[in-house]
Amino acid sequence: MSSLATPAVQIAGLRKSFRVAGKTVEAVRGIDLTVAAGEIFGLLGPNGAGKTTTLRILTTLLPADSGTAQVAGAEVLRAAAVVRRRIGYVGQLGGADKEATGRENLMLAGRLYGLSAAAARQRCAELTEVFDLGELAGRPVRTYSGGQRRRLEVALGIMHRPQVLFLDEPTTGLDPQNRANLWEQLRLLRDDGTTIFLTTHYLDEADQLCDRVAIVDHGRVIALGRPDELKQRYSADTIEVIPEAGADVLEAVAAELAQTPYIAEAVVETKAGGHATIRLTASDATRAMTAVFGALASRGVPTRAASLARPTLDDVFLRETGRSLRDAGSSPAGPDVPLTSGTGAAQEVAA
Amino acid sequence: MTALAPFTLQTGLFFRRKLLETLRQPVWIITGLITPVLYLALFAPLLRSLAGGPAFAPGHVLDVFVPGVMVLIAFGAGMGAGWPVIWELDSGVIERLRVTPASRLALLLGTVLRDIVMFAVPGAVVIAAGAAFGYHVHWGGLALLFLLLALLTAACSATSSALGLNLRQIGSLAAVITGAQLPLTLLAGILLPLSLGPTWLRVLGHVNPLYYSVQAARSLAAGTVSAGTVGVGFLVTGVIAVLAMWWGTRAYQRAMA
Repeated sequence: MSSLATPAVQIAGLRKSFRVAGKTVEAVRGIDLTVAAGEIFGLLGPNGAGKTTTLRILTTLLPADSGTAQVAGAEVLRAAAVVRRRIGYVGQLGGADKEATGRENLMLAGRLYGLSAAAARQRCAELTEVFDLGELAGRPVRTYSGGQRRRLEVALGIMHRPQVLFLDEPTTGLDPQNRANLWEQLRLLRDDGTTIFLTTHYLDEADQLCDRVAIVDHGRVIALGRPDELKQRYSADTIEVIPEAGADVLEAVAAELAQTPYIAEAVVETKAGGHATIRLTASDATRAMTAVFGALASRGVPTRAASLARPTLDDVFLRETGRSLRDAGSSPAGPDVPLTSGTGAAQEVAA
Repeated sequence: MTALAPFTLQTGLFFRRKLLETLRQPVWIITGLITPVLYLALFAPLLRSLAGGPAFAPGHVLDVFVPGVMVLIAFGAGMGAGWPVIWELDSGVIERLRVTPASRLALLLGTVLRDIVMFAVPGAVVIAAGAAFGYHVHWGGLALLFLLLALLTAACSATSSALGLNLRQIGSLAAVITGAQLPLTLLAGILLPLSLGPTWLRVLGHVNPLYYSVQAARSLAAGTVSAGTVGVGFLVTGVIAVLAMWWGTRAYQRAMA
């Protein structure tokens, strides 16, 4: 058993390459990470960044070429059997047996991990309740909607109360409501002490759900930390104010604001045919807004419009790679790495 | 953390899962039962005129034909195992099970045991129907016949699973299995004994492992338990079954890796 002091996941120098169509593609090129017990940790990156490969190594599905990986206190390669007992896994493909009922799926999973029939039944009842599957449990999984199936698959992954739960792109294909529900379930699991390690290519998922995020690109970690900390480190709030005044007045206001410690930059821009705009880059948006409105008011200048843009994790990605995460997945520069050599997964990449 | 389920329980759980999968598709059960009976009803009559000829000298035609159909059922019951494997690869079921600590051999054996049931039930129907048409039942030989053909089913089932796990595509699997099925069954003398054929055909038959299962099956069906062909049949079929199970287990270990 690992205590709270032992990291849930510890990776050092992890590397993995594949042969794809006669060429060697390095999917993971030296990843180092430590995930503390009890946190929700996200690997954020575009398709082909090496997220899924990393996850597959951690879940004993793939052997790494080099480097070490410890999960739930055991070495992934040398003690795969121990790791498998301590982790849960929800893959991209799902993995529920579609012809079987939800209950049969859950019972099998529970009993394989050594729960007695009675204990498995009790746990099954508990999870169908928590995941709102009660009425569906007796129906074949193929009749479930996408959201219902995903809930079942997560339930399958935690039937045996794993120490670490791995999820590969858990909310892909879910509608906003089902996504929000799943996030809530994952937070509850985390609050119960389960460590959650997931991959995602959704900025908001990494930002809102994860306690800490590693942004990966081309098989390397390019940024690591708490989402708010990363956003602050790499980018600041941007405030745009359009006052009813000429450019000369605004230049004076901007010069005054630029002296303020929490305003990094204050510039006046006049877009073609548009109004002169004061643009502020600030570390503290609230105080910067108060300052700009104060400065304008003291000169009797009314405000026509104002807007505030907070940084996103995409700004972090952009700073590091020069590309936007939203476009990076389809970028021809990205290596086209198959998720696995398996048919199903390879088809997903091609799709 | 929980203790792991023991190997026998795991095997039992996987067996149950596969059996339920089959029971949910009654079409397969019905065709599984009807095909062998059709062989008896529609093919066996063609052989009647051969009775007393070179291959059928001593007894009733069905005494030669019934064990052949039994081998065919065993072969068919086992060789179907690869198809669901590919669906399970595509839907992530195998991937999910591979992350559990479940034994890969237990995973394979679940399917093997289900296929043995899928051989034994229609097999019993054929024996009963055959007996009604005049096949002479020898109980001791029959018991050993079921044992031998259970081994053959296991060999075919494990081979089919291993092929599915390695080929990963339904088209490739279908090509390999149907491609192998015809020469294997023809060169084993399943429907008509190879002794009817020319020397070169009989020589070719001897490199086909299935040939030895068929020879042993005929001896057992005739009640000749102590025949040399029986020992050779058990040996060849047993060795193939062990090799196939080793291959299948390895394929499960490496699937998706």
